[in-house]
Amino acid sequence: MKSTGTLSVTNVSKKFRVNNNEIHVLDNINLSVKAGEFISIIGLSGCGKTTLLRLIVGLESDYEGDILLDGRKLNGPSLDRGIVFQDHRLFPWLTVEKNIGLGIVGKSDTEKKEIVNNHIELVGLKGFEKSYPYQLSGGMSQRAAIARSLVNQPEILLLDEPLGALDALTRMYMHKELERIWKKENITMIMVTHDVEEALYLSDKIVVMSARPGKLQKIIPVPLARPRDRASVEFAEMKEKVLEEFMLHTEPHFTYTI
Amino acid sequence: MNTKGETQVKTILIGFIVPVLLVIGLEIICKLEIFPSQIVVAPHKVLITFFDLISTGELLEHLRISMYRVLTGFVLGATLGFIFGTVMALSPRSERIIAPLLSALSQVPLFGWIPLLMLWFGIGETFKVVFIAFGAFFPMLINTFEGIHGVPRSYLEVARAFEFSSAKLLHKVLLPAALPSLFTGIKLALGMSWMLVVGAELVAAGEGVGYLIVWGRQLFQMDIVFVGIAVVGSIGYLMFLTLNALEVSLISWHRPLSKK
Ligand SMILES: Nc1ncnc2c1ncn2[C@@H]1O[C@H](COP(=O)(O)OP(=O)(O)OP(=O)(O)O)[C@@H](O)[C@H]1O
Ligand SMILES: [Mg+2]
Repeated sequence: MKSTGTLSVTNVSKKFRVNNNEIHVLDNINLSVKAGEFISIIGLSGCGKTTLLRLIVGLESDYEGDILLDGRKLNGPSLDRGIVFQDHRLFPWLTVEKNIGLGIVGKSDTEKKEIVNNHIELVGLKGFEKSYPYQLSGGMSQRAAIARSLVNQPEILLLDEPLGALDALTRMYMHKELERIWKKENITMIMVTHDVEEALYLSDKIVVMSARPGKLQKIIPVPLARPRDRASVEFAEMKEKVLEEFMLHTEPHFTYTI
Repeated sequence: MNTKGETQVKTILIGFIVPVLLVIGLEIICKLEIFPSQIVVAPHKVLITFFDLISTGELLEHLRISMYRVLTGFVLGATLGFIFGTVMALSPRSERIIAPLLSALSQVPLFGWIPLLMLWFGIGETFKVVFIAFGAFFPMLINTFEGIHGVPRSYLEVARAFEFSSAKLLHKVLLPAALPSLFTGIKLALGMSWMLVVGAELVAAGEGVGYLIVWGRQLFQMDIVFVGIAVVGSIGYLMFLTLNALEVSLISWHRPLSKK
């Protein structure tokens, strides 16, 4: 069990300045994540999910409040936080293995090779080492991006709608993969998603955000046993509970009488 | 495979239709003696002169000299253009300092520099190399700058998230991303160099293909003039084809559709 990978976000607010107008994007966000937890963030488009992730990665530095990783204050991006961007952002001029290997720092060539091979296997891309990104499907590109984000063994992996571009079936397959990787690597994961089922299938906790300015509306623990069964009654009930937060749940006449 | 090969042969052959018709037309015009021979010469006479000039070794010697000038001028100018373009793209301050001057200089038509360059460097080799370098500098500068400057922010963020050093950022991200643009710069710079060497040799030289053309005119030997023109055109076209082939093989990731 790892003792690292805890994250605490306290009183974080973020404003953007656009043509002398201030846009209040995040308002007083408080969130604490335990080591090894899987957290999903869901919320309407534009509520600041990506912005929150960017703050945690360290790509934005101008904000109020504190973000601590294992008790230490963040100072820009660092290899202990991996990121999978929404658009996979593989470099089109590099093959899959070079893309994955590029991020590895401070290792000999043979070690590098081994790490790359292990991670290609981890995400199931064996046989595509020499392919260029344009020769991959959307799901394969995302898997390559996930492999790249893991090579430096980050304590926390941040995923911004990593499966947003995939069809429903591939997505369900990727959920299994992600869960397997999460267990195997034993790291903290924070994933932004629009998909309630996806969040329920994977997360220990679901963070619901509201918009303008982005606030934490509710944190919903998901106490279901793993691996989760999408068809189970408990799963359906949890789904109702999450959808209620968006006033999208089915009305009360929907009751189970068995 | 077979049909693809056939269509390729066809596209190449199509390009020959107009030149062949032109040659036939010229032959007929000369046969009918419509114009005096100081104005047009029959293509077959040009061909004979061409082989004469090759067998005496004259043509190749002129070409060697012109090529040498082009290469030195091109390498000098394109290297400087690449360096300036890179520095300007990486440092906004340096761009603000040098961009206005360079933009103003690039507005002066290149042949406008000739008198000044002659005063400074005489009419020898230095003058020609500097003149060519001048012409190669600007296209390389502009395309290097735009290529690196236009690298998407999203790639830069990946580099930041993975804590790339500056050297790694330049070598692994900026330059590869800018490669298509760099190639455009190289092609334009080399084309310009070839144009300028002929220009410089027309103005002041005792050898080189440009000089060959002048010399033919002075002798009223239109066949030599035409040989010069044809050689200049063919070599320029060959350089263009070579660079295109190199580009396709190096940047296959950039235009996947152009690959079969
Ligand atoms: N660099 C920026 N400059 C100005 N405004 C920005 C910037 N980045 C984000 N915003 C604004 O912040 C708000 C939140 O953006 P963000 O990308 O975090 O939303 P999101 O929750 O990820 O949305 P989506 O689900 O559509 O991806 C938006 O209103 C956006 O216009
Ligand atoms: Mg987003």
